Amino acid sequence: MRSRLTGLGIGVVFGVTLSWSGMTSPVVIRQALLFQQAYLFLFFASAVLVATVGLLILRRRQTRALISKQPVTWNRESVGRRHIVGSLVFGLGWGITDACPGPIVTQVGQGILWGVWTLAGAILGVYLYLRRDQPETEPAVERPVTTMA
Amino acid sequence: MLHHQLPWYVAGPVLGLCVVAARLLINGRLGVTGGYSEIVGRVLGRSLRFDWRGWFLIGIALGGAGFAIVTGGPDFHGYGWLTASLHGSDQVLIAPILVLAGVLIGYGAKLAGGCTSGNGLSGTAMLSPAALTATATFFATAIIVTFITTVIA
Repeated sequence: MRSRLTGLGIGVVFGVTLSWSGMTSPVVIRQALLFQQAYLFLFFASAVLVATVGLLILRRRQTRALISKQPVTWNRESVGRRHIVGSLVFGLGWGITDACPGPIVTQVGQGILWGVWTLAGAILGVYLYLRRDQPETEPAVERPVTTMA
Repeated sequence: MLHHQLPWYVAGPVLGLCVVAARLLINGRLGVTGGYSEIVGRVLGRSLRFDWRGWFLIGIALGGAGFAIVTGGPDFHGYGWLTASLHGSDQVLIAPILVLAGVLIGYGAKLAGGCTSGNGLSGTAMLSPAALTATATFFATAIIVTFITTVIA
């Protein structure tokens, strides 16, 4: 229950930030991918920087999660063929729609009807993958690892 | 745009803190596609539980909706290069293009184990070699596709 509320709360902040930063707009994304605007890259890089430093601190302090009480830890996955093939397929879709899964949802939330088509497609894509009984590729919470990398 | 774009040095760190908050509070790997999975898993009646990631996705939609209400409507009209380059009766092509590209987004993200948030933000911050490779691959692909579609359109 409390972890669901946490998810909802973080989601609202995430959705407002994506909207306010213009990431919902395919025009803004396209200008970035054509190197006409630096905003997306600065935005993305600063997000990664803050997240990396934050996670390093959490990992070093070997804390327990405040709500779920699990040890804060994660695995660093090594590169497989699926990461490259999947990202080629994903990048193709992203480049055509100029929207990735988060902004697709903020588009629909904002009432942009074109986004409903992309959302339907993305849900269908996830369905086609999960239908094959593939194991979940994105564990919500990883099992604690024995070795700390 | 109906409002000023939030400066990148505010928006970026806020997004980064979302990744950190998910770890600190529930040891979660923040990823939007995981939310899609929980919704689809629910529909399929799989063992996949509708948990915090599903609620995270609902939160993003609510964030977008709240933002549109406060700023007085959606952020933009039309749909980028598609409505700009397809006119008249050609516009019937836009919906199938968006659905097909959406399938690529959903399927590709699942295969790769994450999208721009799961691999790009969270995985990169976890210093995961898989996520770093995935991120470089989808950025490069999207940039190439964008330049190609610009020539076509």
